[in-house]
Amino acid sequence: MADEDPIWEDAPDSPSSSSFFDRDRHIRFLEMMYQLLPSPYQSQEINRLTLAYFVVAGLDILYALDRIDKEAVIHWVLSLQAHPKNEVELNNGQFYGFHGSRSSQYHLTDDRVAIPNGSHLASTYCALAILKTVGYNLSLVDFKSLSRSMRNLQQPDGSFMPIHIGAETDLRFVFCAAAICSMLKNWSGMDREKAKDYIISCQSYDGGFGLIPGSESHGGATYCAVASLQLMGFIDKDILSKNASSCTINVPLLLYWSLQRQAQDGGFQGRTNKPADTCYAFWVGGVLRILGADKFIDEGGLRGFLLTCQSEYGGFSKFPGSLPDLYHSYYGFCAFSLLKERDLNALCVELGITAIAAIGL
Amino acid sequence: MDREAPDQRPPIPISKRTEWADVTPIPQDDGPNPVVAIAYTDEFRETMDYFRAVYLADERSPRALQLTTEAIHLNAGNYTVWQFRRLILDTLCVDLHEELDFVGLLARDNTKNYQIWHHRRWVAEKLGTNATSNELQFTEEIFSEDAKNYHAWSHRQWVLQALGGWEDELAYCDKLLQEDIFNNSAWNQRYFVVTKSPVLGGLEAMRDSEVAYAVKAILAKPENESPWRYLRGLYKDEVQSLVKDPRVASVCLDVLMNKRDCVHALNMVLDLLINGYQPSKTLENSIDALCLDSGLSNSGLTERVCSVLQVVDPIRANYWKWRKSGVTVEGSNGKELAG
Ligand SMILES: [Zn+2]
Repeated sequence: MADEDPIWEDAPDSPSSSSFFDRDRHIRFLEMMYQLLPSPYQSQEINRLTLAYFVVAGLDILYALDRIDKEAVIHWVLSLQAHPKNEVELNNGQFYGFHGSRSSQYHLTDDRVAIPNGSHLASTYCALAILKTVGYNLSLVDFKSLSRSMRNLQQPDGSFMPIHIGAETDLRFVFCAAAICSMLKNWSGMDREKAKDYIISCQSYDGGFGLIPGSESHGGATYCAVASLQLMGFIDKDILSKNASSCTINVPLLLYWSLQRQAQDGGFQGRTNKPADTCYAFWVGGVLRILGADKFIDEGGLRGFLLTCQSEYGGFSKFPGSLPDLYHSYYGFCAFSLLKERDLNALCVELGITAIAAIGL
Repeated sequence: MDREAPDQRPPIPISKRTEWADVTPIPQDDGPNPVVAIAYTDEFRETMDYFRAVYLADERSPRALQLTTEAIHLNAGNYTVWQFRRLILDTLCVDLHEELDFVGLLARDNTKNYQIWHHRRWVAEKLGTNATSNELQFTEEIFSEDAKNYHAWSHRQWVLQALGGWEDELAYCDKLLQEDIFNNSAWNQRYFVVTKSPVLGGLEAMRDSEVAYAVKAILAKPENESPWRYLRGLYKDEVQSLVKDPRVASVCLDVLMNKRDCVHALNMVLDLLINGYQPSKTLENSIDALCLDSGLSNSGLTERVCSVLQVVDPIRANYWKWRKSGVTVEGSNGKELAG
């Protein structure tokens, strides 16, 4: 079957890959990143909270949270929250969440021109995920202004803008909003029915989900869709055995599309006829877990593929043989957790943090 | 405004440039306990320190615009910089065609950056229908490098829906598919055009010719998943019409006779059978031939198809086994498993 398929041709051989998940090396890799990120990460400076999320939640998956100073992490994360000065400001249409980094956060003296705060949904999701991971009690966060102002970001079609000054709206931010509400145990920040309608409109003719209505099915977008539905309570426990007509989305097509993403080399691809890539082992594998269909994954094949992406420096790369990065490392750890690798914490797939962190112990 | 090409970094540090002598840079305040600090290069640090200064002073000047250009080259994801740039562009009434050139150069180097594409849309929106052909052409340039660029496809769909330009879109999809029949993004765009284009009459009107198009593509490369999903998608919410279209069963049979263990063909047969399709003797014989090869038992045809799939698609063997168990439990009415 695969012999004529062009997607296998450029997958490089990786003879040096190891035969086991090298947990110690991965911990050292994240510890290094925690101390100081190398300068190529400066191009992602605006998303520093996201980078921190990969490091902290990654260490949690690896059972190594003791390597970091939790109090320092909590203090730093909380310092990035935007607070309205008063009730009037809370109603000014802005979003009072978390800034991704200092370069979108400006403290002004009172006589200066008012510069709108730059807090962002993705940063807010990462901030709360980190806080939950290090065991901070989220009821201490000023969640009232966060939830209330988050409504300003939801669009008439149910999708979310990530930031009140305007930006692209798509499924990623529906997921962020749903995860935020779920973590805060407060759903006043979004209209769930509208969000559900938007998600349904993103399901493509082949069963997967695109980031926006009409766009191509994509592993990451499909995760955002299914995880959001799960968080909002729209996915029944035994969804696979239920009659398709009782579901809001076409589950059989979604299941088939997701399973087809496992390629002949064992890895998961994000889109049809594209090469397999480490991160989709989590994005698509996570969808299958939520659907209760991860028992259909060829685990041996997937493990084999992921090990070819494991770096000798610790961490994971996107493709076999390329250099590791923080993003693919984190989702590589997640994938191995889904594969029930020993000495790894189990995941709460739909929140993107460990199950222990999600419960809040 | 003179604009730098993306790879030409200014040779002189900003602090040494006379035109910036009156500005005091504002260093980043990282607080007492920074987490995941980044090893900034000197250039990055200095550029952002000056950016903070002009941003806080709300200085909407040509030099501030130039500074945002430099900051964007260093971190194209910084939405604060982009937002300030838009304020400056509005204030200075800059010619937006020039801005498109700038974004064009950037996008070619950072094709996966969301902010760049958002900015491009902001500019195109301001230019309105004047921008239509230019924007379509721009995405085509991106596709000549990366025919599956997700951002460029989103941008193109937005241009079509917001500004128009549908007339040649089906032909463009066909061109891309002739270049690479495995390009799933082009198949997706084809579905988008067929279902959304105001000049084609919608899916109902187009279904007949599109089924023919998909069948032709399947026969050329039966192992290509894209046209199989496209064919199925043409009947997305009308499974009974799928079953009734003789071309669907026929293409499965053609493929199974020639490339006998094609997973996609067998899966389509399974879909048909589960939805009440009465198989021809020829189809049944072609499945039996595969069963004989695999030494499988003489159970119902639907189960036999699942058994063959278990053998020829070992990665998903557990799935096909499960599908078979559903067939066994539900008998021929196992409709809940139908897509
Ligand atoms: Zn990836």
